[in-house]
Amino acid sequence: MAAKGGCIVCQIASGSIPSKKVYEDDFALAVLDVNGANPGHCFVLPKNHYPILEQVPDIEIGNLFNIANRVSTAIFESLGAQGTNIFVANGLPAGQTVAHFIINVIPRKENDGINLQWQPRQLSEEEMSTVELKVKEQVKNIGHFETEKKTPKAYAPKQAVLSDEEDEYFSKQLRRLP
Amino acid sequence: MAEQSMSPEQLKALQEKIKNMSPEELREFQKKQCIFCQIISGKIQAKKIYEDEHAVAILDINPANPGHILLLTREHYSIMPQIPEDEISHIFMLAKSLSNSMLRSIDAQGTNIIVANGIAAGQRAQHFMVHIIPRKENDGVNFVLPQKTIEQGEIEQIGNKITASLAGGAEKPQETEIKMPMPAKQPEKKPDDSIKKKSEAKEQAKSGIDLDDISRLLGVK
Repeated sequence: MAAKGGCIVCQIASGSIPSKKVYEDDFALAVLDVNGANPGHCFVLPKNHYPILEQVPDIEIGNLFNIANRVSTAIFESLGAQGTNIFVANGLPAGQTVAHFIINVIPRKENDGINLQWQPRQLSEEEMSTVELKVKEQVKNIGHFETEKKTPKAYAPKQAVLSDEEDEYFSKQLRRLP
Repeated sequence: MAEQSMSPEQLKALQEKIKNMSPEELREFQKKQCIFCQIISGKIQAKKIYEDEHAVAILDINPANPGHILLLTREHYSIMPQIPEDEISHIFMLAKSLSNSMLRSIDAQGTNIIVANGIAAGQRAQHFMVHIIPRKENDGVNFVLPQKTIEQGEIEQIGNKITASLAGGAEKPQETEIKMPMPAKQPEKKPDDSIKKKSEAKEQAKSGIDLDDISRLLGVK
């Protein structure tokens, strides 16, 4: 999942679209949103192109949300925010606007006009139980994460090894030819 | 315990008491009052979807959409900046898995992941939680962030402040600056009609969903 030409977030990550960076490492970046919901609105992004949450590897998820938490803490400390929201829109119906997974970190003040509330719904006991059973069935196998690799750095050499093996495979095949 | 059932004098006395507590005492006090700690320990019933040594996921009883999950830390933290790094990693890897499960089990076409730190951000409970909300087109839920135009000069200035704060180490914010919700009224226990029709639930959800389809909807390839 390398950078995608048409993706505006990839262009921010590569630097071809200038941005005000507040954090950067090999795999992630945190930048200020020029059209933020509030001044200080940052987004945290993986440098690799992953359109939705489910496509981001577990290890990178851990790193990205830790960066989001550090940025949120820094917003409390340095901007005097009264609150922060960590917000992810995952998929078009959820309000995602760019096809690159990002985490919004939004500084909040009372009566700042941002509404991340919802109308609470009342479900019948039966509806609740149906949903519970359906989701539980899918959730049975979760909780096992790729935690043995400490950093996502392990990905790059792996690819190189794979292609070497492939080359070797082909050369072996060639040698077998009469 | 609930503020609604207190006389103004009692409430004032309680506020005074809270004001004079050390951070440790305050945390202990909050823990005792916390509905979600009682849900986690099993004293209050809830529909638990998942649990492990660090986290518990339950169904929200007043959901934005059916299937709305609250992912809680087993330990009582009020806000996200108090949580150690490895727990943050674990919680959000779980959030990803739970989001994935929603796409597969209840035909969600997307999800929202929301954390609110502080009353100003919409936090209502005093226990840290991640909301995972299943979404469908035209489901009546609307999270649209306003877009303000922020001048380049201000961007520079704010960016430098945040960068400096990030570089200054992981100092925790002073908790007194962030308004936290007061102990909430405990919900009345609903009668448990555990004998219910399970025929619908037996109808297994199709899991033939394609993540690429969901990302393809977003347009950019």
